[in-house]
Amino acid sequence: MSASDNMIPAPAVRSRPLIVRHLPYFIGAAVLVTLAAGMRFDGYILNILLQATTFSIAVFGLSVVLGLCGQINLAQAAFFGFGAYVVGLGTADLHLNFWLCLVGACAITLVAGAFLGMSTLRLGGHYLAMVTISFQQIVTLVMINAIGITHGPDGVANIRRPELFQNSQSYLAFCVAMLAIVGYLVWHLPDTKLGRAMRAVRDNELAAGVNGIDVFRTKIYAFGICALLGGLAGGLFAGGFAYVSPDQFSFAESIVFLTMSLLGGVASPIGSVIGTGLLILIPEWLRFLKSVPGLYLAIYGLFVILIIRFMPDGIWGFVADAFTRWRAHTKAPPAAAALQLKPATTGGDIVLEVTGLSKHFGGLKAVDGVDIAVKRGGVHALIGPNGSGKTTTLNVLSGLYKATSGRIVLDGTDITTMAPHQRTAAGLGRTFQNIRLFRSMTALENVEIGAERRGNTMVGKGDDALTERAMEALTFVGLGSRANELISSFSYGHQRLIEIARALASNPTLLLLDEPAAGLNSTEKLELHELLKRIAAQGLTILIIDHDMTLVSEAAQHITVLNFGRRIADGESMAVLRHPDVVSAYLGSE
Amino acid sequence: MKLTRREFSAGLAAGLAAPALMRSAWAQGATIKIGMCVPVTGPAAEQGLWAQNGAKLALAAVNKAGGVLGKQVELVIEDDQTTNPGIVLAFSKLAAQSDIVAFLGSIRSTQVQAMAPDVIKVGKPVMIGGTNPDLTHSGNPWLFRFRPNDNYSGRVIADFGVNTLGKKKWAIVHSTDAFGTAGGKALTEALTKMGAPPVLDQGYANQSQDFTPVVLAVKQSGADVLGTYFTFENDLGIFARQLRQLGVNIPWVGSPSVVAVSSTKLAGPALFGTYGVADFAEDSSDAAKTFSKSYRDAYKTAPDNQSAWPYDAITILSAAINKAGSTDPNKIRDAILATQKFAGAEGEYNFDKNGDGLHGYNVVKNDKGKIIYDKHIDFND
Amino acid sequence: MDLVLQLLFTGIGIGAVYALVALGFVLIFRATNVVNFAQGEFSMVAAYLMVVFSVDLGWPYWLSFLLALAGMALFGVIFNLGVYYPLRNRTYLPVIIATIGASILLSNSVLAIYGPQPQVLQGWFDTPGIQLGPVYLDSQYLLIIAVTILLVLFNFWFFEKTLLGKKLQATSQDKEMASLLGISVSTMIMITFIYSAVLGGLAGILVAPVLFVSIQMGSTIALKAFAATIIGGFGDVAGAIVGGLALGVIETFGAAYISVPYKDGFAFLVLIAFLVFRPQGIFGERVAEKA
Repeated sequence: MSASDNMIPAPAVRSRPLIVRHLPYFIGAAVLVTLAAGMRFDGYILNILLQATTFSIAVFGLSVVLGLCGQINLAQAAFFGFGAYVVGLGTADLHLNFWLCLVGACAITLVAGAFLGMSTLRLGGHYLAMVTISFQQIVTLVMINAIGITHGPDGVANIRRPELFQNSQSYLAFCVAMLAIVGYLVWHLPDTKLGRAMRAVRDNELAAGVNGIDVFRTKIYAFGICALLGGLAGGLFAGGFAYVSPDQFSFAESIVFLTMSLLGGVASPIGSVIGTGLLILIPEWLRFLKSVPGLYLAIYGLFVILIIRFMPDGIWGFVADAFTRWRAHTKAPPAAAALQLKPATTGGDIVLEVTGLSKHFGGLKAVDGVDIAVKRGGVHALIGPNGSGKTTTLNVLSGLYKATSGRIVLDGTDITTMAPHQRTAAGLGRTFQNIRLFRSMTALENVEIGAERRGNTMVGKGDDALTERAMEALTFVGLGSRANELISSFSYGHQRLIEIARALASNPTLLLLDEPAAGLNSTEKLELHELLKRIAAQGLTILIIDHDMTLVSEAAQHITVLNFGRRIADGESMAVLRHPDVVSAYLGSE
Repeated sequence: MKLTRREFSAGLAAGLAAPALMRSAWAQGATIKIGMCVPVTGPAAEQGLWAQNGAKLALAAVNKAGGVLGKQVELVIEDDQTTNPGIVLAFSKLAAQSDIVAFLGSIRSTQVQAMAPDVIKVGKPVMIGGTNPDLTHSGNPWLFRFRPNDNYSGRVIADFGVNTLGKKKWAIVHSTDAFGTAGGKALTEALTKMGAPPVLDQGYANQSQDFTPVVLAVKQSGADVLGTYFTFENDLGIFARQLRQLGVNIPWVGSPSVVAVSSTKLAGPALFGTYGVADFAEDSSDAAKTFSKSYRDAYKTAPDNQSAWPYDAITILSAAINKAGSTDPNKIRDAILATQKFAGAEGEYNFDKNGDGLHGYNVVKNDKGKIIYDKHIDFND
Repeated sequence: MDLVLQLLFTGIGIGAVYALVALGFVLIFRATNVVNFAQGEFSMVAAYLMVVFSVDLGWPYWLSFLLALAGMALFGVIFNLGVYYPLRNRTYLPVIIATIGASILLSNSVLAIYGPQPQVLQGWFDTPGIQLGPVYLDSQYLLIIAVTILLVLFNFWFFEKTLLGKKLQATSQDKEMASLLGISVSTMIMITFIYSAVLGGLAGILVAPVLFVSIQMGSTIALKAFAATIIGGFGDVAGAIVGGLALGVIETFGAAYISVPYKDGFAFLVLIAFLVFRPQGIFGERVAEKA
């Protein structure tokens, strides 16, 4: 999955208590609900508003799955229809209570969404697009052809509303209230643990995985939430219009939902509302062009192209972007205490014990029976010429590759078969040779994701504790004052430091650094060396992989050397570097 | 955030309300207005155009004869986009204009069903062309049908095939959309009642690119007569050609699309010799002939049922308002229901208490590309 | 047995149609990594061009055919410049949406210009078909199958044996590397769009006599063609052909022996089964490793 480029970062400002900051939202929402209940609308405006309100809730779902998590869903109309049919058939045919049906609609779509997600989310991109299209088509076919259950193309008529909201105007007010509540939740989702995980998955799946996020499960959550919101919206729609039929939930409608989401701005619920409102209104406004058949839909198509071209983040993104940049530069980050690293010490003297580790790609033995024992405390280096298998070893250690054979024990826990995020939870932190940060987030948010590691004993409960921990880590690497800036505004060397801070915030038991000196100039290398010393001083064990012999020989106390996938030397630094095999391996290869 | 949303909604409401206010300000009283929901875009845009043609033709005639209640009649058209949500919006937009006295709804039954709750709320007469029997049988007093409903098309197809052609082994092919399903059901019921239950009842999905499996099923069923309900002419064209290519030449009696102008053009010789029930047939009556002539004069092409029913609807509605002497919805309703033995282009209108104006069909034959009138079959119940 | 043969012929015929459209999909996907949701409209536009030239203007069939294809080449240029090129540095999502917008724009523009009536276009041959024993062979389907076979051969020759073809391949596999080798990537992408538009147009002109010329003719086929590309393995030319043929045959037999109304569902069920159990398609490489 690629990082999507039309996202806006959510600002991290947590100065005042939640309830005070959000009071205006609830007042605004209450005013809207009152207006919806009290203002006199004629039937046309009422229908448009009802349609816009219910569609918006479904589009919220897309802003979660697409905006937050970066996964495409071309079947939102199917989920919407699912919900509508549950409420429709439940109230009209089975004479069940409306509320019961609405809850049922949410539950069924949630399960359907999660199930669909489970079967396909390991793929992604275009494949996901195609699976969701297929699901959409099959749902439509069933609605049309399973006449015994769904009434087929006749559709379901006489759908009932709850007793409390029989009047159309009061029902609209109820839907607006639901919109406000769901909007609030979706608005705040990005700042929760799950929301951050989704954004991390969207920006960089690989980095998300090694930073303790269960990528697959996060995607399923996102997909499930999206489906659930579709179902809820569909249920409300059915109650509002009293009649549903299969052609209202076709593939074309899914496309409309998607366009609504992108038009308004996929990253925010406000964008969803704007996009939905516009796409319902634009065809209405263009009705005056009706004398030529097709003309107004043609113009609509042209608008879609132009908006994607000139407003990549959607309308709201366009507005919010300027605002966020302005705020990110002016907001002074909170001051932070000194970072405390307290690596866990449950195992014995050896933090990481690798025995007989092999990784074969077909016939190629990239790593072949390697043993490494990393002692607690201090810096251990793994070196070797190009193609010696050291990066492969690192990837097997962090779980990006599965070991062909051998055993990896981290601080007394066997992690050989664990997924990357589980290893992180077990206390493994790492950085990448080619930096993998979540590019749409600020430095602080990136580090918060690290701090959120399960089993991190150094961080208290709640968001404020997370922010505090992250600030400490950023301050530790010397970037505390720029915490609220976007990743893109940092130099390469600083991005590397942020990556290290992200790993440190999680208070790992062992820190894996993959060529940390690569691409750094000599001043930055010195700073890095100092930083490593300060980390080691706190008792955190570091396993470093690098070409840079100066850095390795100065920083590391212990060195393991690989060549052609095998260990050729191991021991105290200076002794190993003078080992004849090592010398010849390096001279021979260069 | 809150500000923006509030402003957005306020702007939205204002933007919507302003044109409506303006309209009602300058349009008071000069004309009698009739609203019409019709597909201008979407898959049925083609038929929508003909419907507008028919309605405008009747409108011109009514206005030439002095209009209604001494005023000229004006048609206000809204695009229903051939979709259900589309017609709900189109109708509610029309209904919001309080000076519109009555409406023309859709020829598609599902669309009528979708707009039905709003029709009850508005409480003004709506002329419809949708042929699902339920529409006028589910307690909605404001729907008036200007085409015979599907019970009659099924009965007429069965009656003609069994009694006139003398065939008893039926294969039925129908679209799985609302129209095709209802029609197929009505035909099956009528045949079963006549002691000739169909040997094959085959549905297909609209916009299929290939009908070979359907044709082969017909061939294998051993049927000696074919009854069809096709919704779209291009589906019908493909089916007809493949039917002939694979050597099926049994008599064929179908729903109106078999004898529609565009199917005749698309399918060519493949449809020669077929029978179709038609609520409209050019030679079926003097009224139909008169309509055909003026339609041909105006649009240089042959009319069909898509244009005939709006023509009748405008004509009868105008007469009813004149008879009622008022635009009061209840009085118009009574006047429409009192319309008996009215010779329209579609046939003789005898409104029953449900609001069904017609109770039978014409049977027409495609004679080497020319549609000729064969006979009219009417029922009394 | 007669029945089976007849179904097989029809299945292969309709499958060849899917395959032709799928080919256009694959070419654009390989060059740009983007799925073109307006591919079906390419076919529709070409069929309408054909109607304009050969029916409305009454020009000879072969001349109309060449002009329609030339028109499609120009159309490919415009489509690339207007829809893809401005978004080339963005992710696949905006591009997908832009092509969806283009598809709405195209079908409704044609509706606005040409009206909603389906049109009739004559086939290449005067004889509608031939009876071969128990099986009736529609002449237009025979032509479609023949063209599909020729295109497979042509594509093989073009991509494997010509310099331009190899440059196109290099571009689709590694744009950075290609540009280092002095290949103009934007020219290659332009050529891809032209070729793909011409191919899509060819498919449209060939199926028009069978399915009639209508606004919706492209979109239903395109969806199936898309499924075919996945079944064949995304980005694989041979896969698209095999996927298309397989889909046509599965669909026809499914309709005949299981259910006609659910015919469209078979394609998508097969597709989901493929995605779950063999996501790399019939020929494709492993996607999991690529992610």
